[in-house]
Amino acid sequence: MRASVNRPPTPDADEDKEAEPTLQEIINIKLIESGEKERLKELLRERLIECGWRDELKAQCRAFTRKKGRSKITVDEIVRNITPKGRAMVPDNVKAELLQRIRAFLMSDAL
Amino acid sequence: MADDRMKVSSQQASLVFADLLDSLIVDVASESHRAARLGFDYKLNVEEEEEVRLAHQARTFVGDSGSIGNENGNKHTIDVFGQTHPTIANETFECLNCGRPIVAGRFAPHLEKCMGKGRKARLKASRNMTSTQQRRARSSPISSYGGVVSAARTPNRTPTRTPEEPQRGLTEAADGTSEESHDDDEKVHRARVQGGHFQVSAVTK
Repeated sequence: MRASVNRPPTPDADEDKEAEPTLQEIINIKLIESGEKERLKELLRERLIECGWRDELKAQCRAFTRKKGRSKITVDEIVRNITPKGRAMVPDNVKAELLQRIRAFLMSDAL
Repeated sequence: MADDRMKVSSQQASLVFADLLDSLIVDVASESHRAARLGFDYKLNVEEEEEVRLAHQARTFVGDSGSIGNENGNKHTIDVFGQTHPTIANETFECLNCGRPIVAGRFAPHLEKCMGKGRKARLKASRNMTSTQQRRARSSPISSYGGVVSAARTPNRTPTRTPEEPQRGLTEAADGTSEESHDDDEKVHRARVQGGHFQVSAVTK
């Protein structure tokens, strides 16, 4: 009970540590709130499945898993291994379509 | 100024795209990891070249002729019971209307002509009607009505009908199902007044 007397100061001082939300964060929040992020994600997923990106990436995962051993593999390892490959494998037209939609959203929702 | 804004927004767009893509990559990785750890990824233990060969084999077995490029043509697609079916039905049977032997694959167009639904059949029927109408008008005014009724009901009969049959034709029409409109009642009444002896009561409703 005596410990409660020596409790740490109330967190008024912490307000200074909290920086202004960055532009990126604002954009992210707006994307999520409007539901556009979900829509964009679904669109990207659909396009990537159509063009076979997903199947190929899965094959890469399997290849890596085979190398490392099925029982000891972790999600983190797989992600770290395939992320550069996955980013490189996206077809140009898919990337262009998504970027166009994102830009349209950013323009319309006057930041 | 506008250029700067464009640059910023392009930059931001790329960041957003990268974020979406990363999230999808993690999805794929997580799914593959789970399949490997739980042991239901059947392709895990198979090497690359074998995988392609197995996939091709599976497609031939399923009968997916589209991906193989229609080697045999559609006639030899195998269904789930292992049977093949020709594209056009081969069996022959008798037409219910005219009694002729018809190939099953040609039955629908045949029925169209046979039962008078198609364009040509309807023209033929109307030709029957008008020709019998003219013939009956020459013999007696009452018969023209009978000719109209009978011709409408039996369009597939041969158009030639001797004038000696007007009475029989009329009774036949009178006994049958009635598709006539109410205009006919008037004609019937007139005919009765003129003294034609045929059963009109069955026709009038």
